[in-house]
Amino acid sequence: MIIGEQKPLEEIMNLLGDARRVLVVGCGTCVTVCFAGGEKEAAILASALRMKSKLEGHPMEVDEVTVQRQCEWEYIDPLADRLKDYDAILSLACGIGVQAMNERFPEYVTLPGLNTTFLGLPEEHGVWVERCQACGDCILGLTFGICPIARCSKQLLNGPCGGSQNGVCEVSSDLPCAWHLIWERAIKFGQVERLLEVQPPKNWSRSRDGGPRKIVREDLRLPREE
Amino acid sequence: MTEAFEPRILAFCCHYCAYAAADLAGVMRLNYPTGIRIVEVPCSGRVEVSEILHAFEHGADGVMVAG
Repeated sequence: MIIGEQKPLEEIMNLLGDARRVLVVGCGTCVTVCFAGGEKEAAILASALRMKSKLEGHPMEVDEVTVQRQCEWEYIDPLADRLKDYDAILSLACGIGVQAMNERFPEYVTLPGLNTTFLGLPEEHGVWVERCQACGDCILGLTFGICPIARCSKQLLNGPCGGSQNGVCEVSSDLPCAWHLIWERAIKFGQVERLLEVQPPKNWSRSRDGGPRKIVREDLRLPREE
Repeated sequence: MTEAFEPRILAFCCHYCAYAAADLAGVMRLNYPTGIRIVEVPCSGRVEVSEILHAFEHGADGVMVAG
């Protein structure tokens, strides 16, 4: 899922500027699960904004609403009639949700309340780790299910490098070496020969090097009027 | 002469322990300050951060979660 972190309150206040009526829009999907921008977080932030603005002598009216998924038109369309009542819209969705709001409601500026951080999973309660960089050309089948693009600091296709010591990456003592983990898996499955084949440079054109990406599935598209 | 500060405290009390203790205090005719308001909750784990903030927003000087 997409992992996000709420921006500091001071930064959010600066983004909101002179707005007096603010709508905080939470998202009920990824950022709810990572406790960054769901219904509860929207209520807490709205309360914090009301109190801070009051203490600073220019009280804001802050309401909140949470939609199931801010990155799909169907879920945000019902907000259309509400937005006119506010000076500023603050989205607690990931960057996709913020842009969906701006795209769907271009007459309003929707501001980001989160920093979208990475694609990952909760390793344990309160700990999220990166697992995918959406490179567009998955190599997990070559690396025994451990992604060196997301988890190796150098994104090596042939590893480990000399910076790997006792299974730990030189970048940080709490960062496991992805290639060490890959080799451990290869040994476990008795298939180390698969790692001896040198991998050529990765084709990055399927990643961001080819510019913003797009998928078109003609079999799923609705018929268009001529 | 200014009035002495009397804090307004909201206490979220668990039905099974803290609220029962407050009940017992009443039965024993023990006094506690008038600025304390008790909200009985089925479990103190039920209390949300937003509810604590709500209390502060509406004038509480302190919030106690007892359970």
